[in-house]
Amino acid sequence: MKALEVKNIVKQFPNVLANDHISLSIEKGEIFAVVGENGAGKSTLMKIIYGLYTPTSGEIYVFGKKVKIETPEDAIRLKIGMVHQEFMLIPRFTVTENIVLGDEPHRGMIFDYKRAVKEVRELSERFGLKVDPTDKVANIPVGIQQRVEILKILRRGAEILIFDEPTAVLTPEETEDLFKALRRLKAEGKTIIFISHKLKEVMTIADRIAVLRRGKLQGVVEKEKTNEVELARMMVGRNVVLEIPHVEAKIGKTVLSVRDLTVKNKRGIIGLKGVSFDVHSGEIVGIAGVEGNGQAELVNALIGFTRPVKGKIELDGKEIKLLTPYNLRTKGMVYIPEDRKRRGIVLPFRVRENIIMGQHTLYPFSKNGILNDSEINKFATKKLEEFDIRPRNIHVRGGNLSGGNQQKLILAREMSIEHKFLLASQPTRGLDIGAMEFVYKKLVEEKKKGIGVLLISLELSEIMGLSDRILVLYNGEIVGETTPDKTNEEELGLMMLGLKRQERVLQ
Amino acid sequence: MKNVLKRIIFGPKEKEKYWWINVLVPIIAILLALVVGAIFIKLTGRSPIVAYKLLFGTSGLLPGPYWKDHFAEMLLSTSMFVATGLSFAIAAKAGLFFIGAEGDFLVGGITATYFGYAKPFANMPTFIHLTIIFIFVIIMGGIWGAIAGYLKVKKGIHEVISTIMLNWIAVYLIEDWLVIGPMKANVKTGISGTPYVSNTARLPIILHGTRLNISIIIMIIVTYLIWFLLYRTTFGYEIRAMGYTLIYGMEAPKAGGVDIDKRMIQVTFLAGAVAALGGAFIVLGILFQYPPVFGGGYGFDGITVALIGQNEPLGIFLASMFIGGLRTGAAAVQLAHIPKTFPSIIEGITVAFIALQELIRYWLMKAATAKKKSYVKIQGGADE
Ligand SMILES: Nc1ncnc2c1ncn2[C@@H]1O[C@H](COP(=O)(O)OP(=O)(O)OP(=O)(O)O)[C@@H](O)[C@H]1O
Ligand SMILES: [Mg+2]
Repeated sequence: MKALEVKNIVKQFPNVLANDHISLSIEKGEIFAVVGENGAGKSTLMKIIYGLYTPTSGEIYVFGKKVKIETPEDAIRLKIGMVHQEFMLIPRFTVTENIVLGDEPHRGMIFDYKRAVKEVRELSERFGLKVDPTDKVANIPVGIQQRVEILKILRRGAEILIFDEPTAVLTPEETEDLFKALRRLKAEGKTIIFISHKLKEVMTIADRIAVLRRGKLQGVVEKEKTNEVELARMMVGRNVVLEIPHVEAKIGKTVLSVRDLTVKNKRGIIGLKGVSFDVHSGEIVGIAGVEGNGQAELVNALIGFTRPVKGKIELDGKEIKLLTPYNLRTKGMVYIPEDRKRRGIVLPFRVRENIIMGQHTLYPFSKNGILNDSEINKFATKKLEEFDIRPRNIHVRGGNLSGGNQQKLILAREMSIEHKFLLASQPTRGLDIGAMEFVYKKLVEEKKKGIGVLLISLELSEIMGLSDRILVLYNGEIVGETTPDKTNEEELGLMMLGLKRQERVLQ
Repeated sequence: MKNVLKRIIFGPKEKEKYWWINVLVPIIAILLALVVGAIFIKLTGRSPIVAYKLLFGTSGLLPGPYWKDHFAEMLLSTSMFVATGLSFAIAAKAGLFFIGAEGDFLVGGITATYFGYAKPFANMPTFIHLTIIFIFVIIMGGIWGAIAGYLKVKKGIHEVISTIMLNWIAVYLIEDWLVIGPMKANVKTGISGTPYVSNTARLPIILHGTRLNISIIIMIIVTYLIWFLLYRTTFGYEIRAMGYTLIYGMEAPKAGGVDIDKRMIQVTFLAGAVAALGGAFIVLGILFQYPPVFGGGYGFDGITVALIGQNEPLGIFLASMFIGGLRTGAAAVQLAHIPKTFPSIIEGITVAFIALQELIRYWLMKAATAKKKSYVKIQGGADE
């Protein structure tokens, strides 16, 4: 039985044809993956199905009936649920309160919290999605928050569940758990649509896979009859080799030196404890670790967002006392943020405005405080070309770019500022393999240019492939220092979980 | 050079496909308000046509009998609304809900009064005297406004709270102390207020036979300068970036090196200074002294015009003319047996429709896209 069928869906945005006559049919009880490059139109298609966008033309059938989905309420009524990439939970509410919000069990006029907790507990057991119903959402990790989102839509009776890049924010263990849950849901007869850039994941979990490319459907393949290489080729239109060229590091002088750095996190607890390390020009130093082990605190201290409790940071041989994000740029440091929507770009700003952020006070973009539009436009046009940012339109608003193109925009901007040190914090989060390949290439180029790179990543393969030296962060401390040829993913994994430690001598 | 000039005056050509929607929203809101107003009048058994004829005939917005006088009065109040409207809008662009224009307006008024009559300045040539007055008006108004920014940055006090308090402090400080104390006119009769400003401190008239003075020209220039500041300078770039992100807790401008705290204080200084100009105009162009009780309200009218003008300098100027016109024509509607507060009702309903602008936008967008049944493939898009 067909759970969902879309026919000839077209979505025309002012500048972009995001969906070009897409027709798909999805069986009940299958896990259906959608893959494609950044900007291929995956999110757009899902938003159409969930009623967030109205298609320019096309038809949607749900369980065989032709339907019109104009709002998410329509979608929920038709038993379609969507887990967004940014969760829409209220941090100060408990898990239970978040799940029942909008449809609370009550006795008379009074919200029956006890019954709600019981309901949530039952629901959680039934689908194998373990949560503690009385926890505050603010205090639980991302992986659990995602479960809360899933439970929330299940409670509303969702039969078709859409996941837009659910694993982008998860650790490998959390991903494993999510997959278990997805299989269980499938066994219960639920239909799952799953978007991911990680082809390995897709090959593990999906039954069938649809490939989109530049708004068009390239084809639907069965998992058994395909492999990662073929999928990548369908997505990008050429062979992709995601292997990182090995370039011998030509180590120069120290560009970043961190000594005994101790930093508090947002909740006022020490999150980074007396960390010391150096980054030299011409090398990539990788920081491996499970999210939440001090990465955010390290980044915030380096970019001047939080004042360290103690410790010293030296950039290019000079100690930086009063850190501000502005003087960091002028002292030769650039930053690729982990959360591009929050820290990377101003969503309503146009591409041309976003691309000069951070150097907008510099010549030629401005002189005596007055912006020079023709120079800005010239620069933006050039960078769109150079970094292959699509669409090639400098007037598009940052928020209307697809995730991957937003990331490329940030890369283009930061790398064009003159710098000696690059802080790349999860630079490939949410990127397609083509774009990932691109980022890797750029990072290696940086290294060749003699720039010191500090790469913070949750992806072990990335750390192993790119780094010349690896530091492992666990519980706010560096628990090991090694090089890719002296270690392997297993050993790193053990250190990341705090099960193995290495003594380190700093020269 | 010509190109540079063109760029400075007209700014970049942004290819916004549906830019006209932004223009239509306030116009539709006004028209809807007029329709609702007409229904009200009709329901009370009077003629809306007569009422509107009287209202707009004497508003100064449309030619008619005694147009010159009405036109002058309309522009006179326009300049004050522009001042307080821009004040609100500048701060709003930076993401602040700054409602301190009321207090800044009074501070501007009392500053202009003092420097208008104070002895050392009273015998200077008009041009120099006015320049000195305006410099002090800008400084005092700016400082009064910047207190709110300072409190927000240093103490985390929300600007709504601090500006409301500053408004009241200004009222009491000025009307319950300065005007009846140190700045009291030395007269024996009961009614007083402050002394009158010297002749050299009065704004030159630009339309003979009316009260219309240079304040409107000053505000045309200021409107342009604010537009320029917002869209053509790095300062404007930074505060717009702040306005787009701060309320959502986003950090992109901060990560991009914007000194948010400093900008916040600067923006509130500017907002205070611009509002203070309005206070100076009313003293130097209409009242010539600071009366015992100042019929205030211009500060809050500023929010109205900023809302109708969509926080855009040019929009605010036009909205101010509209509100100025309504106020000018208000007296005449009484001839149709309608209370002279009726135009305020129109203002209120207009703002209510502005509040519904998302709905209006949605209709317009639907109308705009409905015509094109087939889609067009645009070159150079993602699909090229
Ligand atoms: N609201 C919008 N207005 C204008 N253009 C948009 C809008 N949303 C998306 N687009 C454009 O439509 C195209 C498809 O975007 P979409 O977000 O669907 O891509 P995606 O496949 O989800 O990419 P990613 O993997 O990077 O998330 C992109 O070129 C994007 O710039
Ligand atoms: Mg997407």
